[in-house]
Amino acid sequence: MKVAIYTFLGLLLLLAESSLLSFIPVEIFKPDLGIPLVIYTTLFLGPQAGIIATLFIGFMQEGLSAAPHGSILFVKIAVFLIATFLKKKLYIDSKFSFAFVCSGFVVLESLLYITLSLLAKGETRNALNILFYTIPNAVFTGFIGIFIFSFIEYLNVRYLDRE
Amino acid sequence: MRNSIAIIVAILILITSFLAFTNTPIFVRGYSAVKSGFSETIGPMLKLMAKPMDLVSSVFDSYANLVGAKKENAELKKKLDSLLLENQKISDLERENRRLRTLLNFVEKNPKSVIGARVVGEDLKNWYKCIIIDKGSASNIKEKMPVVTPRGIVGQTVEVDRWHAKVMVINDTNSSVDVSAEGKDTRGLLEGTGQEVLKLKYVLKNDDIEIGDKLLTSGKDGIYPKGLPAGIVITVNRNKPGIFADIDIMPFSNFKHLEEVLVIKR
Repeated sequence: MKVAIYTFLGLLLLLAESSLLSFIPVEIFKPDLGIPLVIYTTLFLGPQAGIIATLFIGFMQEGLSAAPHGSILFVKIAVFLIATFLKKKLYIDSKFSFAFVCSGFVVLESLLYITLSLLAKGETRNALNILFYTIPNAVFTGFIGIFIFSFIEYLNVRYLDRE
Repeated sequence: MRNSIAIIVAILILITSFLAFTNTPIFVRGYSAVKSGFSETIGPMLKLMAKPMDLVSSVFDSYANLVGAKKENAELKKKLDSLLLENQKISDLERENRRLRTLLNFVEKNPKSVIGARVVGEDLKNWYKCIIIDKGSASNIKEKMPVVTPRGIVGQTVEVDRWHAKVMVINDTNSSVDVSAEGKDTRGLLEGTGQEVLKLKYVLKNDDIEIGDKLLTSGKDGIYPKGLPAGIVITVNRNKPGIFADIDIMPFSNFKHLEEVLVIKR
């Protein structure tokens, strides 16, 4: 139930980001709204819920991007696996530590994407462009992550069972 | 046990997506089918989401206009003086007139070959420059069709689903357009940089090109028809090592403010 709600929330956020936020003229403010939901479901609901949310969000992001087939899903699944293995090492006790973890995973995602493009296809043309946006994306995702975490916690307390 | 299954499933998806990324034929076909099925379901949702965009955009614009009104007023006064001077440059205007007439003629002569589409979204990642339009294969749109506005070229369709299509904008790093300078023999390849300014590549240092030259599509890349405006030369650097000049181009269209575009059927 929870994973369905969080995934649906993710889908709505991604659709809104693609359509509603496109009027913002600054290219640099483009957070990865999928990461906070992937991280939250993986760390707080377990790997089963995490893989479902990751699969849907990965496909959704790829559907709304000109990225090559499989690329975004690959990095999202990689992020899921890394988050699963680091579950016991990551200590999230507040929305701020959650935001920090989200930012870290955005940086990791960018580096994974560059590595994938470089090793699998030998593409270097977009690498600098991706690196250019990595830090702004991470900072902005972390910032938005605070609100997403607070909203999910509010949903948990108000409407869903708090585990 | 359940956790292990989730991890095994994740690894299998990881391998599948990697094989799809590396264009392994069987995986690409299967992956594309699943992805386009998924995209078809989000198409109508995206259209619905884009409806309030006009409202949000007008509120945002009104606020921005209000804040900038005073500053704009002073700038407009300065502009008025410069416009009076520019008014004398009739020859330039005539040339522009001819260019726009060519575009208009193209649309008038081939009314069935142009499809109007509304921009409903943009790429979720700032790594790629792409816009999403509300027309897809149901409106006979196919891949590699040029997309333009009356001001100039926008890009080409790269992925087409039933309800919407993705357009790779010319400032994407994967985009290249064969162009020539208006009224000159100089030809080059207009390449995206991922930023607002584009690069004109493979123009020799002794080629005839100056700041302010307008670039038109040459029609030799097999995608864009001949004579469509692409951009204007803003810097020419002949002092760098090598045989080619370093040339920056500003596109005619502002890709962040596109609302409607025309897709040219081929």
